[in-house]
Amino acid sequence: MSSVFRILLRRLAISVIVLIGVSMLIFAIARIIPGDPARIALGPNANADQIASLRTEMHLDEPIIAQYGYFVADVMRGNLGQSLYTNRPVTVDIAEFLPATLELVIFAGILMVGLGLPLGILAARHRGRWPDHLVRVGTLLTVSAPSFVWAVILMLLFAFYLPLFPVAGRLTDSYEIARVTGFLTVDTLLAGNFSAFVDALHHLVLPSIALALSGIGQAARLTRANMIETYDKPYIEMAQAFGFYPTRIARRYAFKPSLIPSLTIIGLDFAAMLGNAFLVEAVFAWPGLSRYGVAVILRKDLNAIMGTVLVIALTFLVVNILVDLLIAFLNPRIRHSTRASS
Amino acid sequence: MTHLLDIRDLHLAFKGLSGLTEVLHGIDLSIAAGERVALVGESGSGKSVTARIVLGLLQEMRNARVTGRVAFDGADVMTMAQKDRAALRGTEMSMIFQDPTSSLNPTFTIGNQFAEVMRRRDPKLDQAACDARATEMLTEVSIPDPGRVLANYPFQLSGGMNQRVMIAMALVNNPKLLLADEPGTALDVSVQAQTLRLMHDLVEKHHTAVLFISHNLGVVREFADRVYVIYRGRIVETGPTDAIFHSPGHAYTRALMDAVPRITGAGLPAVPEVSDDFLAPMVRHDGGAS
Ligand SMILES: Nc1ncnc2c1ncn2[C@@H]1O[C@H](COP(=O)(O)OP(=O)(O)OP(=O)(O)O)[C@@H](O)[C@H]1O
Ligand SMILES: [Mg+2]
Repeated sequence: MSSVFRILLRRLAISVIVLIGVSMLIFAIARIIPGDPARIALGPNANADQIASLRTEMHLDEPIIAQYGYFVADVMRGNLGQSLYTNRPVTVDIAEFLPATLELVIFAGILMVGLGLPLGILAARHRGRWPDHLVRVGTLLTVSAPSFVWAVILMLLFAFYLPLFPVAGRLTDSYEIARVTGFLTVDTLLAGNFSAFVDALHHLVLPSIALALSGIGQAARLTRANMIETYDKPYIEMAQAFGFYPTRIARRYAFKPSLIPSLTIIGLDFAAMLGNAFLVEAVFAWPGLSRYGVAVILRKDLNAIMGTVLVIALTFLVVNILVDLLIAFLNPRIRHSTRASS
Repeated sequence: MTHLLDIRDLHLAFKGLSGLTEVLHGIDLSIAAGERVALVGESGSGKSVTARIVLGLLQEMRNARVTGRVAFDGADVMTMAQKDRAALRGTEMSMIFQDPTSSLNPTFTIGNQFAEVMRRRDPKLDQAACDARATEMLTEVSIPDPGRVLANYPFQLSGGMNQRVMIAMALVNNPKLLLADEPGTALDVSVQAQTLRLMHDLVEKHHTAVLFISHNLGVVREFADRVYVIYRGRIVETGPTDAIFHSPGHAYTRALMDAVPRITGAGLPAVPEVSDDFLAPMVRHDGGAS
C-alpha cells in the first residue's frame, strides 16, 4: 500500500473521530446554556400549547442522549434540520453564507503564502543586511496584533481617511450577478462581467489583507528561520562548490527542504484564519458565515448552531489533510517510506 | 614545468568581533595536470579554507580577506570576475565532501542531481542524455543497478553508495582538478578504503589532478604522489610521498605519523559486489523447522 494512501486513511479516520467529538461537545453545550429554543423561536406571543407542541416536534423533552441519536440519524441522511431563525433548511443557509467566508479565507491564504514565503526567502538570503532587518521588523509588527485589530486599522486608514477601498460588503449594489458558485470572483467572470469582477476584488482587498497580515508575518519568519538553518547544511555548500547561481540555490536547493518543516504550521495558520474570519467579517460587514453564526447563537437556534460548527470543523479538517498530503508529496522520506509495510 | 594550480604566498584572515584573525600565513602550493597531491594537517590547520579559496568561495565572503596569487589553468582566480569563477566550479574543478549522505540534497533524486550538474557544462542536455551519461559514470564507480540508483533519493542509499555517487558526480563533467576534502571520513574505515581505491583508479584513468585533504597520513600514503604538510596556516614540509614517509624532516610531520591509526589503507580485500559464493550461507541449519 502506498504510504501517501496510508497517511490519507489514517487522517480520515482521525477526522471522523474529531467530528464526532466536536458534535457531541457542541450538542451538549448548546442545550446546557439557558433559554428555551422553542419559546425564543415562537416569540413572546406564543401560548403554552404552541410551545409544547414545538418542543415535542423537536424532541426537546426527551433525554439528551436520545436527542443526539435523532440528530446523528438526520445527519446521516444529509439533513441538518430546519433553522428556526430563517425558517429554511440549515443546509440551504450554509450553502448561501459559506462561500463568502471561504472566498475571503482563500484570498487571505494566497496572500499569506504568496507574500510570506518570498519575504522569508529574501530575508534568509540577505541575512544580517537591510532586507533582512526590514522583513524582521515588519513581520514582528504584523504578528503582534490580531487580525480584527488590523481590520479596524486598515479600514480607518484606507477606507475612511483615504477612501481608496470600500468600507463594507462584497459587491457594489448596482451589480446583478447570477449566483452559481457563491464565489463572487468566480460568478462575475462566469457572467462575463469584468467590471463586476474588479469590483468584487476591490471589496476583497482590505478584509483579506487584515485576515492575512499575521499569517504573512508568521510564514515569513518561519521560512527565514528554516532557510537559514538549511543554508548551513553540507548540500548547500556542495551546490555552491558546483557553481550554481545564488538565486538558483535559494529557490531550488535551500527552499524546498526548508519548506517541509514550515508547512505544518503554515497549514495550521491557514485553518486558524477560518476562526479569525468571524471577527474580520464583523468589522467589514462581510455577509459570510459569521453573521449567520452569531445570529443563530443569540437565538439558540440549535440546528443552525450545530450545522455551522460542523461545517467549520469539517473545513478545518479538510485543510489539515490537504497540508499533510502536500508534505507527503514534497518529502520523499514520507512518500517512499514503504519499507516498513507492504 | 607548467602547473594546473599554482598558489603563491596565500594569506587569509577573518574579520571578527575581536579584529582580524589570521588563518593562512603565506601558503605556496602547486599541482601539475593529472597529479595527485595531498594536503595533510591537524584539525583547524587551514586545509578546508585553502580548498574553498581555490574554488573561489571565500573570496565572495564578506568577512574574509584573501590575498596572494591563485592561478588555475593559466587564469588568475583572485582577480577574475565572480561570474567567471562560478563558471569554473562544477565544470573545470569540482569538490567532494566529508559526509556523502548529507552533502546530497535530500529532496531530489540522484538522477535529478546528476542532470543539474551536467547542465552546468551543457545547459541544453535533455534528461535522457543526462541519464545515459550518469549511468555510464555510476558503472565506472562500480555501482550495481545504476538505473535504480538514479531513481532513488540519497536517504535510500547507504553511505558508501552515496560516496561513490558523489565521486561520480564530481567527475561527470571531466574536471581538470578535483578537490577532495576528507572524503568519506564519516564512513566506516573499510568502506572508506574501498572508495578511495576506486577514486584513485578513476582519476588516474581520466587524468584528473587531485588536491586530497586529510588529517590521516596513512590514507594519504596510498593515494598521493606528493604531500604538503600544513601546520597552523603554514606549509611546514613538502615532498614526494615516499620521501616524506621514509625520512620526515619536520617534527610536526613525525608527530602526525605517530598519530596514524594502524588500520590504514587496505582494510578489506577487493570483493566483487555480487558473486554466487558471496550470497551462499556459511552456516547451514539442519533439522530445524524451516
Ligand atoms: N567562516 C569562518 N569564519 C571565521 N573563521 C573561520 C571560518 N572558516 C574557518 N575558520 C577558521 O579557519 C581555521 C581553519 O579552518 P579549516 O576549516 O580550514 O580547518 P581544517 O584544516 O579544514 O580542519 P578540519 O580538519 O577540522 O576540517 C580554523 O581556525 C577556523 O576556525
Ligand atoms: Mg576541514
